[in-house]
Amino acid sequence: MATKTIRVLPLNRVEGDLELQLEIEDRVVTEAKSVGTMYRGIENLLTGRAPLDGLVITPRICGICSTAHLAAASKALDMFYNVDVPDNGIRVRNVTLMVEQLQNDLRHTFLIFMPDFTRPTYANAKWYKEAVDRYMPLKGRTVLEVVQETKKIIEIIAILGGQWPHSTFMVPGGVVSVASASDIIQCRLLLDNFRNWYERRILGCSLERWQAVKSRADLEAWYAENRDHQMGEVGTFLKIVIRSGAWREGRGCGNFISCGGFDIPKETAVESLGAGKMLFPAGFTSGDTIEPFDQENITEDISRSWLTGYENGRHPFEGTTLPEKDAASDGYSWVKSARYKGVPAETGPLADMINSKHPLFIELIGDKGPNLLTRQLARLVRPALILPALDIWLREIRETKAEFFREYRYWEDGKGFGLVQAHRGILGHWIQVSEGKISGYQVIPPTTWNASPKDTGGQRGPWEQALIGTPVRNMSAPVEIEHVIRSFDPCLVCAVHCIDADRFGNGERNLITRV
Amino acid sequence: MATTLYWLQGGGCGGDTWSFMCAESPDITELFHQMDLNLLFHPSISCTNLADVEDLNRRIIEGEQRLDILCVEGSILFGPDGTGRCDTLMGEPKKNLVRQLANRAEHVLAVGTCASFGGAGGDTVADPRGLQFQRDKEGGLLGPDFVSGSGLPVINLPGCPCHGEIVMGALSALLSGGPLELGEYNAPTAWYGMLVHQGCTRNEYHEYRVEETRFGEKGCLFFYMGCHGPLAYGSCNKILWNRRSSKTRVGVPCFGCTRPDFPQFYSFFETRNIEGIPIDLPAGVNRAHYLAYKGMAAAAAPKRLIKRKSGI
Repeated sequence: MATKTIRVLPLNRVEGDLELQLEIEDRVVTEAKSVGTMYRGIENLLTGRAPLDGLVITPRICGICSTAHLAAASKALDMFYNVDVPDNGIRVRNVTLMVEQLQNDLRHTFLIFMPDFTRPTYANAKWYKEAVDRYMPLKGRTVLEVVQETKKIIEIIAILGGQWPHSTFMVPGGVVSVASASDIIQCRLLLDNFRNWYERRILGCSLERWQAVKSRADLEAWYAENRDHQMGEVGTFLKIVIRSGAWREGRGCGNFISCGGFDIPKETAVESLGAGKMLFPAGFTSGDTIEPFDQENITEDISRSWLTGYENGRHPFEGTTLPEKDAASDGYSWVKSARYKGVPAETGPLADMINSKHPLFIELIGDKGPNLLTRQLARLVRPALILPALDIWLREIRETKAEFFREYRYWEDGKGFGLVQAHRGILGHWIQVSEGKISGYQVIPPTTWNASPKDTGGQRGPWEQALIGTPVRNMSAPVEIEHVIRSFDPCLVCAVHCIDADRFGNGERNLITRV
Repeated sequence: MATTLYWLQGGGCGGDTWSFMCAESPDITELFHQMDLNLLFHPSISCTNLADVEDLNRRIIEGEQRLDILCVEGSILFGPDGTGRCDTLMGEPKKNLVRQLANRAEHVLAVGTCASFGGAGGDTVADPRGLQFQRDKEGGLLGPDFVSGSGLPVINLPGCPCHGEIVMGALSALLSGGPLELGEYNAPTAWYGMLVHQGCTRNEYHEYRVEETRFGEKGCLFFYMGCHGPLAYGSCNKILWNRRSSKTRVGVPCFGCTRPDFPQFYSFFETRNIEGIPIDLPAGVNRAHYLAYKGMAAAAAPKRLIKRKSGI
């Protein structure tokens, strides 16, 4: 006889507050609702303020990706003021954004994702002792190294931007800091040190050797090649995640969205990994087809959110965020549902690999779609694609004209948007300015895509879909569920919605909400 | 017996945790080992079933489990309409849990400006408050008369985020039983007894009133660009960020993020002024004297500063 269980599962290590409402039948998840349980309004902090004030407020949305928010806010203002950022302004922005991404990818993998393999539910596994030895919170030897190395690489952001997290060194027209020769020397030493560590301990091989892995057969051959590959963190990750049996779970919706990452300066030795003017190309992949990305196709739906004010989906320039005070509504989350052409889409490192047509990840996904292993692997090896460009841009800063900032003309009315391929995926800021004051500001962070609740048409969000069909072996410790969710690198503090201004003069309260 | 620590997050961004993760010596992992500190729970670090955390909470609240240090990061959300539904855990308003744990704790630390004063917020629906202050007014969640088991009020460690070395320093002071003198707003004078301005590498430009009106220059940001360095208490330019620099050193104005009024209602990048002189003068300075001094200082400014030849 089928047994059906309904449970609410709160999760930590998700940057913020998340609960899952699950229906489990015969030890398989049959229904999943993703519930963002925190809303934080920041009324009047942007609406009615000076246009540049978003550069101070929006980094405070997120403690682990504040530089990404700063970059998106700056790009929205670049567009609003119609200013062309000089090459060195672009380089400093890219270098700092990339450094923040490196720390995020490593901290997420080893402080957030891998510790679940130290849970007692795996105590009988052959690899358990090794998992405990490496990944136990505050104790595992890999954890200790990651804490040390990530805080060191972050020093680059402090040298070029003053502090991490929550600085405001990017402004429309470039960056405020002027890197000296000694600054760049210090940054290069930090980068060389980090790169050596990443090659030695994470990959177990050089970046060049890893970059030669372009297919499943290449990956198997790479693993078999030597003990360094097997004992490095990528090798150990593959071994543990595959042997745990959990690796196939977490399929998701099969649509992938990327807005393009890291603007390529006019004069540089760095080339795009795909085509176009960004290191990582933009795109929207559904099945076998990749189509060009256009932000006009983004909407947010609020039918199942604890929000009110409109029906169906709206583009961020049209959207609002008004909290529903009534607890009895049919909403179930403070998060909105971001959609592209009306459908849900997964975003993050795996989406970026797919939209860059990375042959290894295209093959791994194959006909069966993504799973938690490919999603996390993409994050763990993304630094191998970032580090060479980072190295070149850091060097070019001193070899080219020392112009980091270009003056912009004061402007009173208009709008702009800034899109950044942030660490967890597509991040957008949309700003509207009227009579010199912000009249609307809307943020759509990556987790609003991945954690979205159902929409008007009843389509589940990506990780809700990924949970359906997941087996639960131990009802009191449903670790499989946690692997699936954490493979998306959730950031609930980021799942922010900013409402647009009181443009229609309807006297409604305008809010920035934060989930 | 190991000292116990519980870290809770409310309406915040997690930035105080990640700032703490950057602390140098000891680093966060060494702290727990060297100081015989037992981490009961931290939302970004602990790896356990949250059902076990519910049991832990019950044991603390019922007095079965000793709680030595409670760290709270993020504001306490009261909204909507006092229900606390803007931040819940298993359907329960988190503000109730914070209050219950605080009542059992030997020490309570508000880590960051949100937990100290309410911080980024002010939305009347979410209604964020600090633990023992709401902006600069005493009150907050716990009320002006609250003292923890140690007899101290909530120890405020403001900053957006709080500097990781300050969290580390405050914890090690408590762990070693060392003195932790509290000053204005119950913030330790060891880190909040000096101005952000002290130690800024642009001080010589400030001294001779070589002031900037555009980004990307070397001079002082106080007169026109909104810098709060002489108006905010904090040791950013003494202990430095990530061991390297500070906002003001690289040309970002100080936004006064340790102040109870942060984020201020006025624009961040313009200094409010009367006839070109800032309305808010450096802490404790007389206006007439300041005008005379700044006039003479500008006249005495050496060419190497006027031409921005001096490194920063």
